[in-house]
Amino acid sequence: MNSSLLEVDALHKSFDGVAALDAFSCSVRDGEVLGLIGPNGAGKTTLFNVVTGFLPADSGSVTFRTIELHNKAPHRIANAGITRTFQNLRLIRMLSVLDNVLLSFKHQPGEHLHNIFFRWKTSARVEARNRETALSLLETAGLAEKAHDPAEALSYGQQKLLSLVCCLAAGADLLLLDEPVAGIAPTMIEKILSIIRRLPEQGKTVILIEHNLDAVMQVCDRVIFMDAGKKVSEGTPEEVRNDPRVIEAYIE
Amino acid sequence: MVAQVLVNGIITAAEYALISLGFALIYRTAGFIHFSHGIVLTAGAYLTFLLTKWLGLPLSYSILPAVALSVLLGCLIETAVYRPLRRRKASSLILLLASLGVYFALQNIVSMAFGDGTRTIRLGGPEEGINVLGARITPVQVMIIFVSMALFVVVALLMKRTRIGRAMRAVASDPALARLCGIESDRVILFVFAIGSALAGVAGILVALDVNMTPTMGLNALMMGMLAAIIGGVRSIPGVALGALFLGMAQQLGGWKMGPQWQDATAFVILLAFLLFRPQGVLSRKGRSAKLGFGS
Amino acid sequence: MEYLLHIVILIGIYVILSVSLNLIAGYTGALSIAHAAFYGVGAYVAALMALKLHSPFLLNVVCAVFLCGLLGALVGIPSLRIRGDYFVIATFAFQVITFSVLNNWVSFTSGPMGLPGIPQPMIFGLKISSHLGFLLLIGLLCAITLLITRQIVRSPFGRVLKTIREDEVLAQAAGKNVAKYKVLVFVVGAGMAAVAGVMYAYYISFIDPTSFTVMESIFILSIVIIGGAGSLWGPVVGAIVLVMLPEALRFIGLPSSIAANIRQMLYGGALVAFMMWRPQGLLGEYAFEKESSQT
Repeated sequence: MNSSLLEVDALHKSFDGVAALDAFSCSVRDGEVLGLIGPNGAGKTTLFNVVTGFLPADSGSVTFRTIELHNKAPHRIANAGITRTFQNLRLIRMLSVLDNVLLSFKHQPGEHLHNIFFRWKTSARVEARNRETALSLLETAGLAEKAHDPAEALSYGQQKLLSLVCCLAAGADLLLLDEPVAGIAPTMIEKILSIIRRLPEQGKTVILIEHNLDAVMQVCDRVIFMDAGKKVSEGTPEEVRNDPRVIEAYIE
Repeated sequence: MVAQVLVNGIITAAEYALISLGFALIYRTAGFIHFSHGIVLTAGAYLTFLLTKWLGLPLSYSILPAVALSVLLGCLIETAVYRPLRRRKASSLILLLASLGVYFALQNIVSMAFGDGTRTIRLGGPEEGINVLGARITPVQVMIIFVSMALFVVVALLMKRTRIGRAMRAVASDPALARLCGIESDRVILFVFAIGSALAGVAGILVALDVNMTPTMGLNALMMGMLAAIIGGVRSIPGVALGALFLGMAQQLGGWKMGPQWQDATAFVILLAFLLFRPQGVLSRKGRSAKLGFGS
Repeated sequence: MEYLLHIVILIGIYVILSVSLNLIAGYTGALSIAHAAFYGVGAYVAALMALKLHSPFLLNVVCAVFLCGLLGALVGIPSLRIRGDYFVIATFAFQVITFSVLNNWVSFTSGPMGLPGIPQPMIFGLKISSHLGFLLLIGLLCAITLLITRQIVRSPFGRVLKTIREDEVLAQAAGKNVAKYKVLVFVVGAGMAAVAGVMYAYYISFIDPTSFTVMESIFILSIVIIGGAGSLWGPVVGAIVLVMLPEALRFIGLPSSIAANIRQMLYGGALVAFMMWRPQGLLGEYAFEKESSQT
């Protein structure tokens, strides 16, 4: 039976009196690819920010497996098994492509000062192992030749692909992807979608925000349509597409 | 004794208020810490000295030219250093560092030209001071309080009632939007520097008339002005005044209780407290923004 | 010859100071003008222990490093709540407060009169008394400082620092406890500065608060910036250039009365010039760009 990986319950979030999230609830099942669609300002990214701990909710709760995410620091939530990409594409431009991926690995002994000086063999071993994994991930994504170039040397599409690879390196169970294929060429869209498509079989769950409805139809098992902070419609991509409320909202 | 402390507090507050106002205006409009504001204050004092002692002009004729030259200095720094950096999209940290560099270069010019010792532009010897409610206050100090209040009112009116004032507020809150409305932010910023530098020049002259001048006077005054602005809230003019008042009082009280050598430390401990717990200042209406300033 | 050794020793002290500040400001992006406070406290702790407790050199070093480490944590913790420009001011406040304490707590630190007569260091029975001896000691400490820094910046820890410098939000999203890194880097940087302070105290054998003012902090920052923020050797080059500059002036025969002023003017001017044309300094890779905070 599909268990619920993430439970969002009656989330409220307002900015200066305008509700970005209005009693929003949803349930994300283990191993599914959930699409989040809706007009700009519907609250989709706000939802991501609340779930990942970058924004405190005014009220309501978010539960990941059995852990309450309320008031937890972003890095703790990340380490609990949730990883994300950002709408405006965050990468460390000065670091190499490889370093960006290496950054994302969890449980690196070399990130602790005492290990650098007193357990350098272990640290070096883990770093070497991560390096291999990172290079193979980059290989699968087709970015291996660029591994040592600074991240800013990549094209926009390649950078989006890189941020997805970083998510994979994080080894998280839940991936929140904010517009993973927006503004890039069709070949790159296909490449990224094919990666996303294979995530459930690797045991991962995905929520993705997208305006590209074709992409959503292709990869999502379920779709939620949001507007003005509320959940307006929920179901399979077909069901939501044909929902009169959704059609109406898009015409407005 | 308490009365004297209170009176001293008001005088100090008046001095801080002037430099604080200029600093706050520049910070909110141009968006960075104009450290060199301090040297403009120093310039006001020393230019007056130059005009009176070296060129022999009477004090009353020297003040306006000295302030005008201070304005020139402030605007020169803006056009020669900050504007080119802004064009290159320099971060506020870079502007701060450049400002630091300018300050120290210019302070040393003052040192070289006038020496490190104390100079005066006072007309007679130290003044007696009249007795008001058990405290002594000199005519110069009374003048400081009135000039400070008057200038505050003038600037407040300028911000609220005139077109240029509105333009300043527009650029302060949203430079991109202001540009779309046809406001040339460079020109507005230059104007703000002019006003701020005038205030600093006047402040320098007043402080010099009160306690004489040294080349480092601007640094201390700027620090206090910055503190007052942060405590009061840089975005609100009455806040700046309140911040200056609070700081002046707190400093004099601290100095009275613990000895004058602890005045600086008192001020900075207060600053740290504000930065940690209420960075928007006492009077700012905006609440604490969400972690890391996120949007929707 | 002695004079040359003296200059090299000074360069050594400033190398330690600037390499440690570079760790904080250049690699992690936390601009701080409180470094002279750590430098001063390190010097004073060692001097006071040597003069009042007659404790051995190595113990004094350890205590100085430990106390400054704590002080560093004290400065690092506010960096989590206070951002950018305001943080620089907070470090300024910290610097002034520390100076005030050193200068005004006369009963403990002798205030403006300073602490004279600091004895020469004894290490394992060896007394360091000559310029050459100090030079070797400083050289060793510089090498250790550079080695430690090199280990740090090339490790995954260093990678996280560079990430924090460019994008704290991303660092957090990647599961890094930004707070911990910032505090740690301040602790390490402050501890290293303490070592420089201890060496200064023993070498000059007299210290007073005027060596540890905000101007000194800004001078150290200038070395980091001009040498190149975020590079391992940048601060070394910067220290050499900026310490030798006034000496070069002396050769030209400038009267000593304005030599100090000209020197500071040049530092100020150099700072402006570099900010305008080469903010990453001579060798650096970090140019103090703006941090983005929108998601």
